[in-house]
Amino acid sequence: MTRTDGNGEGTGAETRGDRPVVRLEGITKTFGEVVANEDVDFTLREGEIHALLGENGSGKTTLMSVLYGLYDQDEGSIVVDSEPRRFDSPQDAMAAGIGMIHQHFQLVAPMTVLQNVVLGTEPTRRGLVDEAAARERIESLCSRYGFDVDRHLDTPVEELDLGTRQRVEIVKSLYRGAEILVFDEPTAVLTPQEVDALIGLLDDLREAGRSIVFISHKLDEVLAAADRITVLRDGRAIGTVRASETSEGELARMMVGREVLFDRLSRETQPGEPVLEVEGLRVDGDRGLERVSDVSFGVREREILGIAGVQGNGQTELVEALTGLRPVGAGTIRFRGEEITETGRRTRIEAGIAYVPEDRQTDGLVQRYDLVRNALLGNQTVAPYSVDGWLDWSRVSAHAEEVVREFDVQTSGTGAEAASLSGGNQQKFIVGREIGHDPELMIAAHPTRGVDIGSIEFIHNRLIELRDEGLGVVVVSSKLDEIRKLSDRIAVMYDGAFIETVDPESVTEEELGLLMAGHDLGDGPTESDPAEAEP
Amino acid sequence: MSLADYSASREARLGGIGLLGLLVLGAAAVVWFDVPVERIVTVGFVNRALLAASPIALAAIGGLYAEKSGVFNIGLEGFMIFGAITAAVALYGLGGTDPTQIHLWAAVLLAVVFSVLLTLAYAVLLIRFEADQIVAGLAVWFMGLGFAPFAASLVWGTVRSPGLTRVNYYSLPYLVEIPVVGPILFQQSPFVVVTAVVVVAAWVVLYRTRYGYWIQAAGDNPEALDTAGVNVNRVRYATVVFSGVMAGLGGAVLLAHAGNFIGTGDTMVDGRGWIAIVAYLFGNYNPLGAAAAALLFGGLDMLQVQFQTADIAVSGRLMGLAPYVGVIVVLTVWGKTRMPASVGEPYESEE
Amino acid sequence: MSDAPDSGRVRAALDRAADRMLDASVYERIGIAVGSTGLALAIGLVIVALAGYDPIRFATQLVVGSFGSERAFARTLQFTTLFVLAGVAVAIAFRAGVFNIGVQGQLIFGGIACVLSIVWLAPYLPEGRIGGVSLIVVGLLASAVAGGLYAALPGALKAYYGANEIITTIMLNFIAIGVVGWAVDGPLRPDDARSVRTEYLPDNVGFPQLLFDYPSFSLVGLGLALVVVAVISVLMTRTRFGYDMVTSGYQLRAATYSGVDAERMIVATMTLSGMVAGLVGAVFAIMVQGYFIDPTGLGTYGFDAIAVSLLAANNPIGVVPAALLFGALDSASSHVQIHSEVPVQLIDGIVGLVVLFVAAPELFRMIAERTGLGGGER
Repeated sequence: MTRTDGNGEGTGAETRGDRPVVRLEGITKTFGEVVANEDVDFTLREGEIHALLGENGSGKTTLMSVLYGLYDQDEGSIVVDSEPRRFDSPQDAMAAGIGMIHQHFQLVAPMTVLQNVVLGTEPTRRGLVDEAAARERIESLCSRYGFDVDRHLDTPVEELDLGTRQRVEIVKSLYRGAEILVFDEPTAVLTPQEVDALIGLLDDLREAGRSIVFISHKLDEVLAAADRITVLRDGRAIGTVRASETSEGELARMMVGREVLFDRLSRETQPGEPVLEVEGLRVDGDRGLERVSDVSFGVREREILGIAGVQGNGQTELVEALTGLRPVGAGTIRFRGEEITETGRRTRIEAGIAYVPEDRQTDGLVQRYDLVRNALLGNQTVAPYSVDGWLDWSRVSAHAEEVVREFDVQTSGTGAEAASLSGGNQQKFIVGREIGHDPELMIAAHPTRGVDIGSIEFIHNRLIELRDEGLGVVVVSSKLDEIRKLSDRIAVMYDGAFIETVDPESVTEEELGLLMAGHDLGDGPTESDPAEAEP
Repeated sequence: MSLADYSASREARLGGIGLLGLLVLGAAAVVWFDVPVERIVTVGFVNRALLAASPIALAAIGGLYAEKSGVFNIGLEGFMIFGAITAAVALYGLGGTDPTQIHLWAAVLLAVVFSVLLTLAYAVLLIRFEADQIVAGLAVWFMGLGFAPFAASLVWGTVRSPGLTRVNYYSLPYLVEIPVVGPILFQQSPFVVVTAVVVVAAWVVLYRTRYGYWIQAAGDNPEALDTAGVNVNRVRYATVVFSGVMAGLGGAVLLAHAGNFIGTGDTMVDGRGWIAIVAYLFGNYNPLGAAAAALLFGGLDMLQVQFQTADIAVSGRLMGLAPYVGVIVVLTVWGKTRMPASVGEPYESEE
Repeated sequence: MSDAPDSGRVRAALDRAADRMLDASVYERIGIAVGSTGLALAIGLVIVALAGYDPIRFATQLVVGSFGSERAFARTLQFTTLFVLAGVAVAIAFRAGVFNIGVQGQLIFGGIACVLSIVWLAPYLPEGRIGGVSLIVVGLLASAVAGGLYAALPGALKAYYGANEIITTIMLNFIAIGVVGWAVDGPLRPDDARSVRTEYLPDNVGFPQLLFDYPSFSLVGLGLALVVVAVISVLMTRTRFGYDMVTSGYQLRAATYSGVDAERMIVATMTLSGMVAGLVGAVFAIMVQGYFIDPTGLGTYGFDAIAVSLLAANNPIGVVPAALLFGALDSASSHVQIHSEVPVQLIDGIVGLVVLFVAAPELFRMIAERTGLGGGER
């Protein structure tokens, strides 16, 4: 591997055009307390595909939104074509030849492709939109770049598949004269075939002289598509590498961090009876695509199963299916020997499944409720807080007090609104509350994301204590150190499937990185059947 | 087959089945009750249906534009009432109890001008102050139900105006002689023609001009329009004012066809503004479809007269409910898919 | 921050909506309510002056007509009773994030169900007090069931078919008016009735007169309305169902996370809202009218109730003073109709203005900020 300096200018260049078309220098952007970008340098050269790689929340989109005029940076400068620029709006950025293809398409669903492409810059003739002129121009654009979009010009966008819609977005940017194209997580909504097509298309655009930024968190796609890769982590640029000179393992470690903050605690207990057994589980995502494919595993008492993987490989859907928030397509879920595949969320709570949700702000807490009322959330049918449909607020209040005290939640009191708490304290409150109804299984999705170091330590210790008290615990995380520290077994999830289940004692970070990128380890330290993994 | 394809074909199928069902039901009713069709569908009936449909169609076109751009103008009924009372008061002010046709046209014009002022204030409340569109729209209706009879009482001492005047029909010599088509096309209220022109123009503007593109985008994906450099709220101001003006014109046309103002009960507008909303929902937000639906409802309304003359005992009141039942069925079968995606949400630009 | 712009925007919109509908501070809410009413009344008085009448005299008549005599006060309380119930019906739905605009239709079906059940059952029950009380209980139950069912329909259409409840409930209002109007003018109209109406309720069906000697009002009716306020208030604050319901209104995803079945909650909310709306019709029939009439002549309680509920920030207890205000305005119009030269429809217009201003709290926030009143809260 060859690590280059921050801008990747250190090694000899073989791509044509070394000329930087965009230079971002020392960009810092904060949202209130949260630092989204900290002193980030980034250079895009003419005619290259430059990937911005990083976890969710690492600051990729924020950085590009600064470039696109959606946000004002707090510090730092933007140089486009050697001229210092300041963009107040996307229109300014577009006028400077920058186009952005958003993850959520900026398309008007019932309007036709042609109408969408020309929206805002319609050619007119005698008061009417000159469709013939627009058609001609779009067709010439399409033939130049080899797009097939012109076949659908009169089709409403809503009738197109997502890959085609994305190409409409690209054509729309090109129609406005974009020289620099920024793609925000372009593969998130695409099928594998569409991803391949998109990568081919990016190549064509580069050949035609366009410069491209490709935002992603998927290692294989970045390696397949990009010339250079800049990795962001926690709002900082970690480094820029050439795609041809790096590996997925290295990128994975750059993304998730190589510092081992915590030592793995050796386990003193032996797992007991199975708590959760999952067989052949299939789950569909929001768009009807299968996101969890034939997953089988088990969790026992006194055991933490870590589910590792890069965001977006089906973990969210898996957890929602386990907790009763998403219907199961096929397969069975058993809890303490009883099948719960079809039971509702509330039944599962009552049965003893605790859940620390991925999105604590929209799911885990009612932002405008005080902590007392939030302490009841999820416990509405659990005694003693609720008996025969009647709420006992004094018990709930006592529970809230207890959680605040025991979990060291920094707040002015239980009368404070949830929204007034910092992320770490919100998360500690949720963990404390979820333990309140005496669960037998704890499912924690990204339990320490966006949480301060002190709270991370606290939450980790609590999860381990729960394990030692006899609970089965599932931790979903994309942080290698967290997974390695907590797990008794690690299942690596990739593209909807568990590709390996490994022993945290013996697996290396390189191996984990490779697994998370979808590679088999061959005859590595793996266990073949996850459900019967334990001795 | 993508999800979108699937739903599109499903809609088409359902629409087809619905239409077929209606036809079968209608035919069955004709046979079963031995309905004398030739005595019901007459030239006079078609003319009455056109007269009844034009105010509804005008208001529907207005409401359709507002909703297409993302603002649900639920106050159409109220604006129609204001249009009718303004036209009546203006007509009386200009020509007393014996106004001329010039007075009538001037009164309609004044009603339009007044509607512009009224809806401008309404638009500011909705867009600038982000008022709740549902509640504010209902408020306009209540205000119409109160202030219109109030104004009538001030002017005439009672909530009904005396007989003023109706609009004269134009009549083209010789052409009128053509059977069937002649008396419908060439001897007609000029407002029916105005309505037809408005409907066609509304269709052309919505689907063939850049402003139409902007209106559609403002309602469905305002962000896309904003990033394309068009001010979303400016588009919405224009459509809301247009919707109020069209409803006001509709009310004025209603008055010009009736010849006097009636302010009892739900006033002379009597739910036509609500029917206008139903009409554009039925017409799937397409001006031509909305006008066709308005004609259907106008015809349904006038069918009562035909049934009476043909001695068929059907409650007009129950028949009048058909549009309302229809819209519930349509919404249930089609769900919310057809409504512009961003209706009812105030739009605030990023900066 | 890959998802920052989008979730941030969604959250901002959520916060705005919550601010507007639910979370404005109590003082701010009262300020907006007083401001809306004051501004609407002021505009009304200006109109009175412009029309050439004496605004002071008109204002005096408003007060006299609503609180100036025992009769006026009883009339005010009569309207207040109906507004309290209707306002609570709206508040239930709005608190849960469902927009039930169909209270008018639900109260019409509730009222006719009440009258019909009583008239049909009366021959089988003893005359006198015991029979009367049982009939009233039957009538109230029938009205709640009818109203509840009529509201459950749009609830189910929304929950399981995605049909917008605002439009369906408005349509169902017209259908209720049309169907019941047709029925009371047709099959349900007794042969000897000179006006459009149903049979009279039996003599033993009626609330006893207490304190007030006014045929269309009884403290029992008001008491019933206040009991409903108390029940709904306790339900919202002290029961699991209420917690589920209110949480759904605040933050649907959190409610789902906590085990609430969103679809069933919509249907349940609408049903409960419609049950209370149905009671409005029953109280109208039993306490005010003694029979049921063509619903076009009923008064727009179900629509005005939207304003009542919004004025009260959708709080069932706050509905009581808001209902008193609307009751007073309606009562004053009965007085004005007889004793003033100012056309009485003006008061309907003023009510419309109140509703309009209640819909736009931002307007008053801006006024407050410009004038330096209470702007610091934001």
